[in-house]
Amino acid sequence: MTVGSFIIKNALRNKRRATLSVLSVAVSLFLLVTLLVALRELTLPPEDAGAALRVVVRNRVSLANPLPARQRPIIEKIPGVEAVSPFTWFGGNFKNEESMTFAQFAMDPKLLRTLFGEAKMPEKQYEDFLKDQRSAIIGKLSADKYKLKVGDKISLTSTIYPATLEFRIAGIYSGTIDDRNLLFHHKYFDEATGDLGQVGTWWVKVRSAEDMPRVITAINAAFANSSSEVRAETERAFQLSFISMLGNIKLLVGSISTVVVFTLILVTASTMSMAIRERFRELAVLKALGFRRRELFAFILAESFGLALLGALIGVGGAYALYTYGNISHMTGGIFITFEVTPKIIGFATLVAASLGIVASIAPSISVARTSVVDGLKTLD
Amino acid sequence: MLSQVMVEANIVTIRKLSKVYQQGDINVTALNQISLDIRAGEFLTLMGPSGSGKSTLLHIIAGIDRPTGGECHVQGVDVTRLNESELADWRNQNVGFVFQTFNLIPVLTAYENVELPLLLTRLNRQQRRHQVNTALELVGLGDRSHHLPRQLSGGQEQRVAIARALVTSPSLVVADEPTGNLDSQSAHDVLGILQTLSQTADKTVIMVTHDPKAAAFGSRTIHLEKGELTN
Repeated sequence: MTVGSFIIKNALRNKRRATLSVLSVAVSLFLLVTLLVALRELTLPPEDAGAALRVVVRNRVSLANPLPARQRPIIEKIPGVEAVSPFTWFGGNFKNEESMTFAQFAMDPKLLRTLFGEAKMPEKQYEDFLKDQRSAIIGKLSADKYKLKVGDKISLTSTIYPATLEFRIAGIYSGTIDDRNLLFHHKYFDEATGDLGQVGTWWVKVRSAEDMPRVITAINAAFANSSSEVRAETERAFQLSFISMLGNIKLLVGSISTVVVFTLILVTASTMSMAIRERFRELAVLKALGFRRRELFAFILAESFGLALLGALIGVGGAYALYTYGNISHMTGGIFITFEVTPKIIGFATLVAASLGIVASIAPSISVARTSVVDGLKTLD
Repeated sequence: MLSQVMVEANIVTIRKLSKVYQQGDINVTALNQISLDIRAGEFLTLMGPSGSGKSTLLHIIAGIDRPTGGECHVQGVDVTRLNESELADWRNQNVGFVFQTFNLIPVLTAYENVELPLLLTRLNRQQRRHQVNTALELVGLGDRSHHLPRQLSGGQEQRVAIARALVTSPSLVVADEPTGNLDSQSAHDVLGILQTLSQTADKTVIMVTHDPKAAAFGSRTIHLEKGELTN
């Protein structure tokens, strides 16, 4: 027998309790990892190379307020600007679905390659898209979800404009940070909505990263004190501000995570206390045999630590396996495209488990240390 | 102070040993100025009514309880002056314990229970195996080494406990009513083993008992009453 095998035998002496303890830790850590990954995915700004050179221009008052189409040539003339495309949210419902499950944007199709170079699709499909004003391209995730293929016709009813648009799928793209969107000709949108001369936002491609600050300042300045003042910002900043409209998600998720961890500590500490309380006499016997307080503390700590880490292995490992190898888009109904359990999140969850193991062992250890051999033997004799 | 000669002549030398418990506002005297010498190889039995202080005396000699006054020298060491850590080491090397309720660890086999005190020593696995097997053979349980305590009878469990008490080769074995939970035959067997240890292995055995028949196995019996020796 070794000290290690002695600790394992003690930890597993009540198999049902040990199993339930491990599972409570595992389920809680699974939930914690899920919350942390969800928070990260929701607040993750686009990091691809293309995003670094894109500027989003929106109405200074609100994203809901449109911008006049006449702003385009002014922006195009600003030094450092490579391309400017309108980008207007259509907000259409597909088929009989109650809410929109993929976004649709009207844009200038000629600038697709310039603005979104990461969107990959066969050249033939792209050319077809350019030629047909009533065609659209759709991201692979949405195409797969709705079993759409090139040549299919779909109809979208806008919840913002009094319009229902018919599209022919000209191409299916992939490779962007969000392969769900449908993109179509802004001219078709203008025709359908009565040529309002408005756009939702401008998406601007800047020539180089060095030009970015100057271009942003110049765009903002170009429309200052006009009837449609704008707010130009990097795509990253735009996405983050867009997310903030959903409310303080960080606070919400952080609060839930704290409650999860706190509950976990209470459950584990209670379990360890029960496990040690019923072994008080045995621990007193070990003391009589010559085991010192620090050795008994090490036994309790190792047991508590071991159960917590086993829970972490199952909970965090399970979350990693599910979110890495599972079809997250299918599981979340397309809300999340990726759900990456990063090494940082794994490390944090494991650290929580390790801390849990230590904290849960403190109270029983103090109790054992304070009890004399004679009292320990008397207590349960 | 005790003279060095007195300490060397006896394995246990006790002088004016007192133990007073505080129970609320009341002081309860468990031991009152006891002086006692125990020779090496002696099988001493402590008798007396409940609450007479015999278990308290045994616990202080074994280093698991502390007196409130007096001295208790065991093999020349004043155990009342050792700190917790020193006392734990000292117990491991010098004292073997046998309890009334056996106190074996239920998840460990007989072999592992006996091996437990040796985990604190520097013996390697092979040396430990030799020691454990010797101890189990001595109590006649060599063939039951892989049994769990629940698979053994009460008498066998107590013999495993004796093997555990002997495995570190202590010079002193203390037994607190070791036959209290046993049938007469098992009690006879256990007492026989303790007697043999005293007579042939030169172990000093101190046993607390209520039973005069059990006490008859000892080489000397002392009686306590209200915390004082009566003979």
